[in-house]
Amino acid sequence: MKASHRWLTELSGVDASAADVAAALTRLGLEVEDVEPRGEGLDHVVIAEVRAAAPVQGKDKLTLVTVFDGEGERQVICGAPNVPAPGGRVVLARPGAVLPGGLAIAEREVGGVRSSGMLCSETELGIGPGGAGILVLTNGEPGRPGQLARDALELTDHVFEISLTPNRPDCLGHVGLAREVALAFGVAFRAPSPGVPARLLAGVDRLDAPGDLPLLEDDAPHLDTLTLVEMRAGVPALVPIRIESPERCPRYAGGVVQGVTIGPSPFWLRHRLFSLGVRPIDNVVDVTNLVLLELGHPIHAFDLAKLRGPEIVVRQAREGETMATLDGEERRFTADDLLICDGGGPVAVAGVMGGRDSEIGQDTRDVLIEVAYFDARSIRRTSRRLGLHTESSHRFERGVDPNGVPRAMRRAVSLMCLLARGAASPIARDVCPAPIAPRAIAFDPAHPGRLLGMPIAERQTRAALEAIGCAISPSEDHLWRVHAPTWRPDLGRPEDLVEEVARIGGYDAIPTALPRVLPSGRGVDARLRLARRLREAAADLGLLEAVNFAFVSRDDLTRARIPGAPLALANPLSEERAVLRTSLLPGLLAAVARSRRHQAASAALFELARVYHPVDGEPLPREPWHLAIALAGRRVDHVAEDARFDLYDGKGVLASIVEATLGAPLEAHGDEALDAEAPYLHPRRRARLSIDGVSVGVVGELHPDVGDAADLDARLVYGELWLERLFEAAAARGVPQARALPRFPSVSRDVALVVAESVQVGAVADALATAGERLVEAVELFDVYRGAGIEEGHKSLAFRVVYRDPGATLTDARVDTAHGRVVRAAMEAVGARPRA
Amino acid sequence: MSDALERFEKGLREVSEASAGAFTGRSTEQALRDENAKLVGPNGQLTQLMKLMRELPADRRKDLGQQANALKAEIQAAFEGALDRLARAAREAELTGPALDPTLPGRGVRRGRLHPLTRTIHQLVDVFVALGFDVEDAPEVDYASNCFGKLGFPPDHPATDMQDSFFVERPGGELDTVLRTHTTTVQIHQMLKRPPPMAVICPGAVYRRDDDATHSPMFAQIDGFAVDEGLTFAHLKGVLTAFVRRLFGDEVPVRFRPSYFPFVEPGGELDMGCVFCRPWEADAERTRACRVCKGTGWMEILGCGMIHPVVFEAVGIDPTRYTGFAFGMGIDRISMLRHGVSNIRLLYENDARFLARL
Repeated sequence: MKASHRWLTELSGVDASAADVAAALTRLGLEVEDVEPRGEGLDHVVIAEVRAAAPVQGKDKLTLVTVFDGEGERQVICGAPNVPAPGGRVVLARPGAVLPGGLAIAEREVGGVRSSGMLCSETELGIGPGGAGILVLTNGEPGRPGQLARDALELTDHVFEISLTPNRPDCLGHVGLAREVALAFGVAFRAPSPGVPARLLAGVDRLDAPGDLPLLEDDAPHLDTLTLVEMRAGVPALVPIRIESPERCPRYAGGVVQGVTIGPSPFWLRHRLFSLGVRPIDNVVDVTNLVLLELGHPIHAFDLAKLRGPEIVVRQAREGETMATLDGEERRFTADDLLICDGGGPVAVAGVMGGRDSEIGQDTRDVLIEVAYFDARSIRRTSRRLGLHTESSHRFERGVDPNGVPRAMRRAVSLMCLLARGAASPIARDVCPAPIAPRAIAFDPAHPGRLLGMPIAERQTRAALEAIGCAISPSEDHLWRVHAPTWRPDLGRPEDLVEEVARIGGYDAIPTALPRVLPSGRGVDARLRLARRLREAAADLGLLEAVNFAFVSRDDLTRARIPGAPLALANPLSEERAVLRTSLLPGLLAAVARSRRHQAASAALFELARVYHPVDGEPLPREPWHLAIALAGRRVDHVAEDARFDLYDGKGVLASIVEATLGAPLEAHGDEALDAEAPYLHPRRRARLSIDGVSVGVVGELHPDVGDAADLDARLVYGELWLERLFEAAAARGVPQARALPRFPSVSRDVALVVAESVQVGAVADALATAGERLVEAVELFDVYRGAGIEEGHKSLAFRVVYRDPGATLTDARVDTAHGRVVRAAMEAVGARPRA
Repeated sequence: MSDALERFEKGLREVSEASAGAFTGRSTEQALRDENAKLVGPNGQLTQLMKLMRELPADRRKDLGQQANALKAEIQAAFEGALDRLARAAREAELTGPALDPTLPGRGVRRGRLHPLTRTIHQLVDVFVALGFDVEDAPEVDYASNCFGKLGFPPDHPATDMQDSFFVERPGGELDTVLRTHTTTVQIHQMLKRPPPMAVICPGAVYRRDDDATHSPMFAQIDGFAVDEGLTFAHLKGVLTAFVRRLFGDEVPVRFRPSYFPFVEPGGELDMGCVFCRPWEADAERTRACRVCKGTGWMEILGCGMIHPVVFEAVGIDPTRYTGFAFGMGIDRISMLRHGVSNIRLLYENDARFLARL
């Protein structure tokens, strides 16, 4: 919301600097985000009077204008077509002036004639949209020759950009903002008089019907100064109104102004609209926009001649009904949209935008002014459905003041009579089938102090509530009955009133205190705690943490061969982010591919996040947390080494993470079930990960076809750990128990066994360890050999077997006997032979 | 008998002659060992000769034995001397030969990093834990009612429509589940789960249908709240002031101003003094030029307020007995401010060059 400091000053009577007003509004909860000075730098720009104008010889577009600038006459060359006749007033930039666009004015020759200054257009002065030619002041507009233009035309101002919260529609107009300014500076606020029409239609009967809105009071002091104007033949002074949807349109008023003369608005109005970001159009439309900016109440003007009937019907649209709006778009409606119709069909989308066929034009003579109150939700839905967010819908969907209708009507009518020389019907129709009374809130005057944590005197509370327009009546008990003004739809509960008391006193005035928090004994959620330790362990091992979007494309999952169907978003931003990930692989794959494209020698990433697994028959998915790692490229970052990450790096990293966080050994083993469970892994380079037999994850090199599909030019090692399973395994494992340190030395024996390639190291080691010899303490692989001396398709595995008797020192003889048995049993178990 | 003697003596001479130059001019260790083996190895000349010892006349056996042993020792010494010379030469060659190129890059040690968002979350969480808050999790896919209705959003509030929030499809079901738009849902989950008093924070990812330089469709928030008898706005101010001071320093000023969120009343926002231009150090020029706070000297960092009674009513807590305060803040912005990141997308692109530097 843009607001003019000058206008707020006029309305509030508070004479404070723009900076002070901005700070005060922000303190009240109306955050001023920006304060933009206007009219600065117009130092040598003055009002001048044209004394003579003559064509420049040979230059048919130029005029030599003699102007009086308050000090003397000077001659300037002007290229505009609208130089006024002598006596007309214009704006002169004297030599030395620098215009807002940066143009520096100096004496110079134009077309062979000396020009001592420049006559300015609105555009050149930065004060209007311009149009054809220089700014010419009309009779009745202020400014005498020699007066600085910025003073005469009131150009200096500060425009606030206010970030309004949606609960304060009352501040979407300057009167509402001025009320807050007055509040901030402790000044009593009185809303300005809307004025009375200066020209009235003669002979309109006053019916005193309930739907009548008189536009002037009988005892108005200026009744004598009114001009009475004959009604125009065949033009009604009152238009019948029928509301068919009173719940969506609780109030609708229509007022007639006859005989308007469409033309440009006076400068002050054009400038006011322009500086607040509204394009001036003509005097009638400008009046509707001014009322909107002043009172925050959107109103609409119809060309009465274009209304069929004429009558107004407010009803819901018929499904599929269409109408062209002011912006030229053909709109199609649903039965949920509210329309303003005449005798023939729709003429406006209620509260959103008028229709093209009834808009004000150059030849409009009679106007019907609509001032209404519409249900906020209805307007919001229509505005959203049509994708049409307007100044009007913005206000109606937040809630305008239903009881502000008469004021807005009076204001619009009186301005139109004044500026477009129309004559108003003294009575407008005001149909209000569902009157909206101020809300009454039962309020405990001790409530503010109790909720804010400070003593607050009752009279302070009363003063604050009255200052925002509440009426307080006593009630039977100790409670107050507070009647909130209807321009404040946000006030409905006692807490809302507490906030008013708090903000008027200022949040700064509330003390600070630390609560006594009882220790809950819960602390940090176990999963969050584990997640943190896992993340830190992964980072300690040299991995960079990635954070990917939770949504991926279906293709991402298909290309990565992730099994299972994902949950889909009903309204994704794009196909690329259409479903919720069921695996962390696609995200890490993309991150690694990205770093490969940047020619990084290697990538080592991890991500700890949730994935989303739909559950049959359940409305909400499971959200298990996974830790995933991705390694690709050079294992060691050095030019002289070329080893690449492989399965064992993945296994090693994950084992270290598990060891660091849970203190448990991570086992890896082959498992055919991975064909279905992890089809994205290389079928010959992969493993299931487990802790004490509990499956906790997978690791492997990426299936080469998956890598190709992702345009990955390197082998990727991918592994994941499932946090739920880690918990399960850790719980089963329990707390590690201490064991006495050995008192007797160990003895080791080495053995090299030749086995077929298909025999896994783990199987041989297990065979040695479990050969039935209780003296075996540990089995360690220390060499794998293939080549000379070992036949094709075989390998030699060298193990060190450590023997220890916890109760005695071992003799060589005992060890030899035991070792012989162990080796023989193991060879038999796995089909090995000793290496020659 | 004499034949053996003759052969032995001849053999000794031959070995002696053969050994004389055996180790000279050999340039590898293997060559030296081969030569040595020819003489004293298991099948070497001298070893073979020694096998004749028993056939020698007894009176000569001792003398010749000594000669043979002396010769063996001589050979041993010569061999060792040659080995030694070879080693010395090799060492000499290493010490005087071509040097390693020290300008080749060092062998990298991989350095891992937590994501900047994670580190910011850890910092914030630690501060609130120290202030007595529990840290809890809440689901990301949740009922729209937990995200909006129970938190006091009016029906048809813009946040509740398809324009602003992601709805999750549910085969055959209604469109009533969303990706949470704020971590504020933790209030509903915790208050339904346990009775007051409680003080909880919840960090996590949230989702809104925005995508530009300052909005990411996924971003991170922390929400916190406390419920007890007698909690007041003064307590809210106390906790959040302590939070800002612990995170940014005791000298940083804070201010609270009214604002609006459907689930709090009174509602507010907390501004802290801009930690980039540090206006409390009274360098007005620096503040005027500050692009972070746009010259205001203040940075908005969180929204807060007293928990709205509609929230208590939604979860069955008696609002006449209990009060509470709540607050929520975006983590991305705090992280971006700390690291000078201007485009939020960088946080989610996972570019290693970005992640490794921050």
